[in-house]
Amino acid sequence: MNKKTPYVLTLPLIAAFAIFIIYPLFKVFVDSFYHASFLNPFFRKFVGFENYNWLFTFKLFNPKVSYFLSAFWKSLIWVSGSVGIKVVIGTLGASLLNSGYLAGKKVYRTLVIVPWAIPWSMASMMWAWTLNSEFGVLNSLLMHLHVVDHPVTFLSLPTSAFIVTMIVDAWMGLPFMIIMILSGLQTIPESLYEAATIDGAGDLKKFFYITIPMIKPVLLTVTLLSTVWTFNSFDIIWILTKGGPMSATETLPIAIYKVAFLMTRFGGIGKASAMTIFQVAVVTIISIFYIRTLRKETES
Amino acid sequence: MRGRMGKKIFYQIMALLLMAFLLLPIYQMVITALRPANLPWKSPMPLVPEKVTLTNFVTAFNIVPRLPRYLLNSFIYGIGVSVISLLVAIPAGHALARYHFRLRKPLMVFVIYANMFAPIMLLVPIYVIMKKFGLINTYLSVILSGSIFTIPLSTWLVTSYMQTIPRGIEEAALIDGCSDYSVITRIVIPMISPAMVSVFIYAFVTGWSQQFILALTLIKTDTLMPITQGLYQFFSRSSVRWNELMAAILMSTLVPVTMFLLVQRYIIKGLTSGSVKE
Repeated sequence: MNKKTPYVLTLPLIAAFAIFIIYPLFKVFVDSFYHASFLNPFFRKFVGFENYNWLFTFKLFNPKVSYFLSAFWKSLIWVSGSVGIKVVIGTLGASLLNSGYLAGKKVYRTLVIVPWAIPWSMASMMWAWTLNSEFGVLNSLLMHLHVVDHPVTFLSLPTSAFIVTMIVDAWMGLPFMIIMILSGLQTIPESLYEAATIDGAGDLKKFFYITIPMIKPVLLTVTLLSTVWTFNSFDIIWILTKGGPMSATETLPIAIYKVAFLMTRFGGIGKASAMTIFQVAVVTIISIFYIRTLRKETES
Repeated sequence: MRGRMGKKIFYQIMALLLMAFLLLPIYQMVITALRPANLPWKSPMPLVPEKVTLTNFVTAFNIVPRLPRYLLNSFIYGIGVSVISLLVAIPAGHALARYHFRLRKPLMVFVIYANMFAPIMLLVPIYVIMKKFGLINTYLSVILSGSIFTIPLSTWLVTSYMQTIPRGIEEAALIDGCSDYSVITRIVIPMISPAMVSVFIYAFVTGWSQQFILALTLIKTDTLMPITQGLYQFFSRSSVRWNELMAAILMSTLVPVTMFLLVQRYIIKGLTSGSVKE
C-alpha cells in the first residue's frame, strides 16, 4: 500500500471541509469586524468591535434587553423545552416500544419513524393546517372531546405560539430520539431485570435503577446531538410564525436570517456574522462535550 | 393475572396516544387531501371526511401548473446531493476504515463536528461565496451547499459499515496485484452496496429537507424552485387552497417516506455503531 493513498482518498473530503466549512467559518469571523450589507456590495469598512457592541445595545421591541440577547434567551428556553420533551417522551416511548407487555411492537416501531422522513418544511405546513384555529383537526378533536368550548388560536398569541412551535419541533425530533434510545434499551441484558424481579423490585424501581443507568451513555449522546439540531432549527418557526407574533418566536437562527437578508437597512452581513459567531460558539461547545462522551464510550 | 392484563391494556393505550401525537398532522393531511374542495368548511371540522374524492390530486396541478417542474427540481437537488455525498464518502470512508495515517483521527473528529453544522450557521458566507462564483440561481449552488451538510454523516456511515466487514478479500486482491484504487471500484463498492443505498437515501431525504432554507436564500427564479418553495403558491393573499396543498404534499412525500422506511434499519445501524477509536 502506498503511503499517499489515504490522502488521495480523503482529498475530496478535506477539500469539501476546507471550502465549505473552514473557509466560511473564517469568513464569518472576518466579516463580523466589517460593516457590509447586501444592499451595496461594494461598500465594506472595517469597524472593529462595533458589530459586537451593536449586539448588546441595539433594541427593537423590548426596551430592556437588546435584540440579540433577547433572541439568544428565547433560543435557550425554546431549545431546553423542546429537547426536554424529546428526552422525556423519547425515553418513555422507547421503553414502551421495548416492553414485553405491548402487542404489535413491529407496527408501532415502523410508524414511529414516519415523521423523520417528511421534509421539515412540509411537516410545518401540515402542522400549520392541523393547528388552524377554525378548521384544524386539533381544535376539532379538542372540541369533540369537550376539552375546550371555543377554538384555540394556537399561533396568534405570543406564549402559546412559543410553546406550540416547541412542541412541533419536538414532534420532528421524537422519531430519532425513540429509535436511538430503543436501540440502547435492546442492549440491556434480560437477566438484570430477572434478578431484580427475584429481589422483589417493582417496575418503577427497575426503571430508575436498571433502565436509566444502563442507557445513560446513549441518552447523553442523543441529548447533545438533539440539542445542537434544535438550536439550529429554522424551518418550523419560519413557516409557522416567521418569528411572530410580536417576535415571540424569534430565536437566534430566525434573527440571524432576518438581520442578514431582510433588515438590510439597519442589519447587514457584519452584524449577522457577529450573531453567527455566537451560534457557532454554542454548537462548538456542545460538540466538544459530544466528542468527549463518544470517546469515553468507546474506551470503556 | 389481572395485573398483567391491566398492564397490557395500559401500555396499549399509551402506545396509541403516542401514535396519535406522531401521526396527527399526517392524518390531517390525508383527510384534507381526500375531502372534496367544494364542500364548505365547518368549525369544528368533522374528524372523518363526509365524502371522499381523488380530484384534489388532479386540481392541484391546475392551480399550480409548475408543480411537476418543482418536483423535478427537488428531485435534481436531492439526487445531486446524494451523488456528491457518495462520491466524497466512499473513498474517504474507505480510507478512514482501512488506512492508518496521521490525519485519520483529526479527520474523524472533524467529521463528527461537521455533522453538527446546519445551513443557518453558514448561510451568510455561503451566500457570499456563491455570489462570488456567480452561482446564485443555479442548481449547483443548492447542490454544493446542501452536500456539505450530508457529507459528514455519509462518511461516517461508510466508515462504520466498512469496519464491520473483514478486510481479507481486499488484502487478497492487493496481493494479486490489484492497485489501491481498483480495490475500491472492484471489491469495496460491490461489498458496501447496502451502505451505499442507505447513504444515498439518507442524503436524498436530508437534501430534500434542507432545500427549504438553501433555496430561500440562493434561488430567486421560480423555475428553479424546489417543491418546498413551490408549495407556497397554494397560499394566495386571501385564502389557502388547503385541500390541494395537502394533496400535493401527500404526493411529494410518498416517495421519500417509502424509501426512508425501506432503509431505516441500515441508517439506524450506522448511527448506533461505529467508533472514534483506532
